[in-house]
Amino acid sequence: MPSTETILNVGLTHYLALSAVIFSFGMIAVLMRKNVIVMLMGVELMLNAVNLSFIAFAKESGNLSGHIMVFFVMTIAAAEAGVGLALAVAIYKKFHEVNIRFFEHLRG
Amino acid sequence: MEIQFGLIDFLLVAPAVALFVMSCVPLLIKVMRGNQEQNTMATLVYAYTGVFAAMGFCLPTIGATRTAFEGALVFDGVSAFATIVILFCTAVALTFARDSQSTNPKQFTETVFLMMNAAVGMLTMVWANDLIIVFVGLELFSLCLYMMIAMSLEEKVSKEAAFKYFILGSFASALMLYGISFIYGTVGSTYLPELLSSTQNLLATNRLFLLGFVLLIVGLLFKAAVFPFHAWAPDVYQGAPTPLTAFMATGVKAATLAFFLRLVASQAFTVERFWPFVDVMQWMIVLTILIGNVGAFRQRSLKRMLAYSSIAHSGYVMIGMIAAGIGGASMLGATGVMFYIVSYAIMTIGAFGVLHMLEPRPDSDLTVEDLRGLAARKPWLALALTVLLLSLTGIPPTVGFFGKFFLFSAAVKQGLIWLAVWGVIGSIISVYYYLRPVVAMYMEEPVIAPAQVNMRPLSYFAVSFLALLVLVFGIASEPLYQVVLASVAKVF
Repeated sequence: MPSTETILNVGLTHYLALSAVIFSFGMIAVLMRKNVIVMLMGVELMLNAVNLSFIAFAKESGNLSGHIMVFFVMTIAAAEAGVGLALAVAIYKKFHEVNIRFFEHLRG
Repeated sequence: MEIQFGLIDFLLVAPAVALFVMSCVPLLIKVMRGNQEQNTMATLVYAYTGVFAAMGFCLPTIGATRTAFEGALVFDGVSAFATIVILFCTAVALTFARDSQSTNPKQFTETVFLMMNAAVGMLTMVWANDLIIVFVGLELFSLCLYMMIAMSLEEKVSKEAAFKYFILGSFASALMLYGISFIYGTVGSTYLPELLSSTQNLLATNRLFLLGFVLLIVGLLFKAAVFPFHAWAPDVYQGAPTPLTAFMATGVKAATLAFFLRLVASQAFTVERFWPFVDVMQWMIVLTILIGNVGAFRQRSLKRMLAYSSIAHSGYVMIGMIAAGIGGASMLGATGVMFYIVSYAIMTIGAFGVLHMLEPRPDSDLTVEDLRGLAARKPWLALALTVLLLSLTGIPPTVGFFGKFFLFSAAVKQGLIWLAVWGVIGSIISVYYYLRPVVAMYMEEPVIAPAQVNMRPLSYFAVSFLALLVLVFGIASEPLYQVVLASVAKVF
């Protein structure tokens, strides 16, 4: 059982644990859900969890490049969301629902 | 800190700049004309100008090792070689894209734009000397590919393929990025030379770094479609328009494997703490070869068959990758990998090219039966496909044979005999499904109403050229091997 002091002194480990938890939530959303939009949200969650861990490492070491990387990741996440939503629109136009249960043509 | 860069840096990245500028020109013209598509041939000429200018800019940089933009990009033998392979694949795939039934002629400009920018992403990835640049390049070409797949004229399957690729691809890049963040946290930098020099040391002492390194490799294995991260490949390759499948199967793999080679050059696999993972990877390779070949064996659709066979080929390449990472005569493994990238690119893009010429409709999915009697109707096309398939099987004197030969002999020299044995077993299984179309073309009666063959001259020329190249590089494999050896020698 960790003492109250280790719990209250928020440090690198706490941030990393939080980022791991968020990352796993994102993973679960991507792997378990069938709704296209929720899957997209899962991917975004994963990328933002990574951002958190970059920031935590950068703050810990006082090294600036981690902060810069977060900007790269944010830009890419935005582009990915754009492409993903465009695909969701295309899927909606075709199947009239944003759900992957219609995906049964490619098998074997 | 003052950041300096001069004209030389811009000259070094000129291939990417040329590609990007020339990809914008047709798009601009289209906008100027009020969103009216201009002649597709004119668009193609702009695209060719970009690709060949890029090749021209790339040639003078071969031979010397240079870095650009404060060491963020590196130009050495591996990157020069991979650059030429990628540009070549882009030019061929552009040709196919114009002639294909499944690419929308009203959106050809957009297809060209996306394809050339995907090539820019691939070039960025092979030049990258910093993990974050690797990631940017990887995402750039992935995003372009997702969109291009969804733009197919065929509606249902392509959407499914695009979304599957999108979700699994983003998932893998998120994993890879998570790994990069751990590596950054432990090394304090994502600069590749700094990272690689401390890799062996850190792998042995730091758990977090080990986890990050493994996640990074998992991301790369996903892009290269190695078991158990292969499941997307058959679906995506089948659902995508055939010219794009050709581009994906060759360009993406060339870029990914070239970067993988850079990572492996740190000889990380020699670290004792990493051995369990290397063992796991060897089993993964064996299963990749088996699943690829057995999967291809069961397919009726030719495109899906080639997709599974490309999984098997990733397995063969990874044998060389392991041989390149375990110390000793690692040069042989690295050269084998590089040689195989070249041979694989030529024969795979050619095989998909022939398939796309045989497709009469955007949604057609060719089976072996559709090839019956092709030799009587189109003898040259049948001959080209035969040569390409024989090369994929690995029958001398084609380049495919020498590719496999160099990989497996490197594995044997490095003491990985059992991997080489599995590679040979896989090749033997593959004889059946590669030769079945050949038998159908030459020995079976034609179908009653043969589908129209889409004989567009440019594609026809490209396919014949690729078949010829397979034979030429097969016969002249020794000089080619020496060139590859010289270019890899500087990195290893």
